[in-house]
Amino acid sequence: MTTASLAASDRGAAVRIDRLFLGLALGATAILVALVLLDHQPASAALILGGFGLGIAFLKAEFSYTASWRRFVTRGDASGLVGGLIVIVMCALVVAPVAALSQRYGGAIAPLGPSLVIGAFVFGIGMQLANGCGSGTLYTVGGGSGRMLIALLFFVIGSVFGSLSLPAFLALGGIDPVLASDYFGAWGGLAVTLASIALFASVFIAIARKRGAPYQPSRNYVIGGIAIGILCVVVFFAGGHPWSVTFGYTVWGAKAATALGFDLSHAAFWQWPGPKRALTDSVLTDTSSLTDFGMLFGAMAAAAATKPFAASAWPPAKSLLAAGIGGLLMGWGARIGFGCNIGAFVGGVASGSLHGWIWLLAAMPGCLLGIRLRPLFGLSRD
Amino acid sequence: MRVVYIVVVVFGVAAILVDHLSSPSSGRAVSPEDFAGACAPCGAPCPSKK
Repeated sequence: MTTASLAASDRGAAVRIDRLFLGLALGATAILVALVLLDHQPASAALILGGFGLGIAFLKAEFSYTASWRRFVTRGDASGLVGGLIVIVMCALVVAPVAALSQRYGGAIAPLGPSLVIGAFVFGIGMQLANGCGSGTLYTVGGGSGRMLIALLFFVIGSVFGSLSLPAFLALGGIDPVLASDYFGAWGGLAVTLASIALFASVFIAIARKRGAPYQPSRNYVIGGIAIGILCVVVFFAGGHPWSVTFGYTVWGAKAATALGFDLSHAAFWQWPGPKRALTDSVLTDTSSLTDFGMLFGAMAAAAATKPFAASAWPPAKSLLAAGIGGLLMGWGARIGFGCNIGAFVGGVASGSLHGWIWLLAAMPGCLLGIRLRPLFGLSRD
Repeated sequence: MRVVYIVVVVFGVAAILVDHLSSPSSGRAVSPEDFAGACAPCGAPCPSKK
């Protein structure tokens, strides 16, 4: 390569940086970090920066639970699914024992019952129509997808409806969370958790082999999975609980509804101590919102640092309709089913909570239905 | 699409600022799971508590 072509190449690389959106992302992150530091909350700053790192890692690794699950359901390709388990193993090695041994930290737990199963199933449909799950929606919105901006808007709306529905679904019955450490102790619980992950991995691999499909994750996915796993541990230590995404959406929606004149404070969900405080206090005191904001701006910074941001045209109306419906279903399902791929599946399994695996098993049939519905909106089944 | 994004980011950050400055915020960040009786990430109570 000649000097001239190198210089031209350098000029090309420089042109691809979108300074406006890189500046917006970095500026917004700096403002949020400054606000929480003014309140003497370094852990909150760590949550924002941890989320920022997650946004970069997800975008760079193109880590997608939705596409991975779709490839597994349609073609038997388990490479993405197995790659996703790397994140859970990394988290479990820390979360399962620390949550069991320390009063300062807690795992992601949830009751087992119809609410969990119905919510996860509906979420599965929604994630295939929207083409992104809880974390996927965040980093693709941050990455400049206008389509996912629509999905996020309806995700937020759906989660507020979900918050109003949840008490009725809980009344259908259920049992208290089943946590491995309650039965086998901190280290025994970790061993059982790792064994359960190995069992599911072997089942995924066996299905892939039977269908002649790949099952080994790509190098990009392995590196991305390790980076995301490490950042999940950072978020766990900063927030005291495993990383969760969707409660933040519910809080944003409820605050917006309140600002528009709707009074949610009398709803049963918003009278529970946690949601009640989240509705009245600053959004920057909610751990889920802090990582969500960080992830949005991290993905935006990563996207704007490499190419013109949000330069593509809007997709067809049918695709936007699918994004809206998918977002609505995910929002409602996430509240009824106690979270998304991150809060319920990754966080739940990493905590040794049985609800994580039940969530996966209930969401998969929902994904299958969602994949079958995709052609109605002009989306491919692959 | 870029204009929409600029509006969303500016409006979003402004909304966070207004909410933060007009709401209690001195305590550490919490999750609904931190509260007594919470049985899920959203703060739902345990079935056995009913």
